[in-house]
Amino acid sequence: MPTNQKQKDLLLDSIVYALLFCIMLSTLYPFYYVLVVSFNQGKDSLLGGIYFWPRTFTLENYATFLTDAKWYNSLLITVARTGVGTLLGVLFTCLVAYGLSHRDLLFRKVYFTVIVFAMYFSGGLIPYYVVLRSLGLLNTFGVYVIPSMLSTFFLLIAISFFREIPIELKESAYMDGANEFVIFYKIILPVSTPLLATMALFLGVGQWNAWLDSAYFVQSDALRTLTFRMMEIINKSNIPIESVGAAASATGVTNYSLQVTSMVVSIAPVVCVYPFLQKYFVQGIMLGSVKG
Amino acid sequence: MNLNTEASLQLKANRQHQLWKRFKKQTVLHLFVGLGMLFLLIFAYTPMFGIVMAFKDYTIVTGIKGIFTSDWVGLQYFNEFVDDYRFGEIVRNTLVLSFLKVIFAFPAPILFAILLNEVRHLAFKRFVQTVSYLPHFISWVVVVGIAFSFLSADIGILNKLMVKIGLIDKPLDFLTSANYFWGLAVGSAVWKEMGWWTIIFLAAIAGINPALYEAAQIDGAGRLSRIWHVTLPGIKGTIVVVLILTIGSILGGGLVGSNFEQAYLLGNDVNNSTSEIVQTYAFKVGLADGRFSYAAAIDLIQSVISVLLIFSSNYIAKRASGSSLF
Repeated sequence: MPTNQKQKDLLLDSIVYALLFCIMLSTLYPFYYVLVVSFNQGKDSLLGGIYFWPRTFTLENYATFLTDAKWYNSLLITVARTGVGTLLGVLFTCLVAYGLSHRDLLFRKVYFTVIVFAMYFSGGLIPYYVVLRSLGLLNTFGVYVIPSMLSTFFLLIAISFFREIPIELKESAYMDGANEFVIFYKIILPVSTPLLATMALFLGVGQWNAWLDSAYFVQSDALRTLTFRMMEIINKSNIPIESVGAAASATGVTNYSLQVTSMVVSIAPVVCVYPFLQKYFVQGIMLGSVKG
Repeated sequence: MNLNTEASLQLKANRQHQLWKRFKKQTVLHLFVGLGMLFLLIFAYTPMFGIVMAFKDYTIVTGIKGIFTSDWVGLQYFNEFVDDYRFGEIVRNTLVLSFLKVIFAFPAPILFAILLNEVRHLAFKRFVQTVSYLPHFISWVVVVGIAFSFLSADIGILNKLMVKIGLIDKPLDFLTSANYFWGLAVGSAVWKEMGWWTIIFLAAIAGINPALYEAAQIDGAGRLSRIWHVTLPGIKGTIVVVLILTIGSILGGGLVGSNFEQAYLLGNDVNNSTSEIVQTYAFKVGLADGRFSYAAAIDLIQSVISVLLIFSSNYIAKRASGSSLF
């Protein structure tokens, strides 16, 4: 009987490990493959047959990517919106949350009702577009960073975080005659680094990946984000692939190899950052799912 | 009697005075919060009121004011959508895509969490889990780019591999055929989001009292029956909550979301007959063709159905199992 049980366990274990190995492979290999192709000569990649290692190793895809004005510009825009958007989002959300974290704040219930209602309901894309248009935000850099300044989801997280900060810290500052803004800036923010880091990383990844706002609200080529440009190329490449402009075709770079290179550029920072978010996942996903 | 009223008046005045004093002390805090409220008023509540444009003859050049001053046309645009020759196809695509995603994407993370929970090597378990939620943090555009690298008829390596080993005669046009779109959308959604949603179920499994497993073992339960009789009942509450969320957001793609992004990115002229959904259609007639009232009406139909779904699924879950969101 015990040996029978053991055999059964062994069988179960093998099935479990085999399945998990398959899942892991199907998740990791696509990323690895994209990386390999980005280091392979563009025209050569079109012949296929590359699986584990570049056949004709080259850095020219990256060189072309960084010297091509359009790609380079979209990378700059993406870096800028990630920096500015994240900073604005973190600071503004924390400022509002700090006000709301006071338990004796008047009209607290009204404020919270307004926030929760805004979490559940939205007017949809079309009226939102009209509002942005009236504010003169269409076709500006501001449309990437201003409407995302307040995250209702992180607002609730920040409020509960600020409430855990010992009240004595603030009271001693009051004695010294500091006003609320100074307390927020000099006392609350410095002791909230774990919160700030989490918010910055989540908002940052969101900004880095964003492309819908570029598709909806922007027409100017100079303001396109990296992911938007990638989207344009992918949409075009359902049609058979040709080499890019005359200068590039001499080097063997193709639209496809540039697309793959841009994908690696887009993935790389995320891969470096996301493992550090692990600690906060469970809390985040719980609250995030309520938002729906 | 007279004295009483006077005293209560006095009391009221006092209280108002004290409230005012409290408010004055909190002025700066109210300023902070007020900025947030102003933000929500502009970016969340104005669009909500703007929904009335669905019942009006609105043109974009009239700006925000036009939403309120333009003429009422009642249900004209709703009727127009229902009479549209593509109405049936678009609604069908939206529903099929949404339900397929629930059927496949909802159980996948539960099964994956149970698999992970059976792993004894902690380092291996951690590694697999960390890898599994990487795709969640990648933009849909990149995921579609990866799909292109693997599945396109010209250069997709999966296609080339299958031809090479003789599984198929010629490359399959996964990306440019109406037959494959639903499978492609559901498959890529599971690939991208399964690991992420596993987190919530693994957390629930971790909360199960270990004594229950010991007791089951003493009673002679094997591993499979422990999964069936301890693990699954132990995470029932979480499963119900996630199911409510899924059904409430089903028209957007359930918990894996992204119906719009997939239909927009993977959709093209060739597979349009299965990839056009309500949201992409509203986007096209609205922002591309400039028919704002019509698009708002189409959007509104979907929003109303979604709100009804989340309330009714919550109600049913509350009656059936005692777990609910609100």
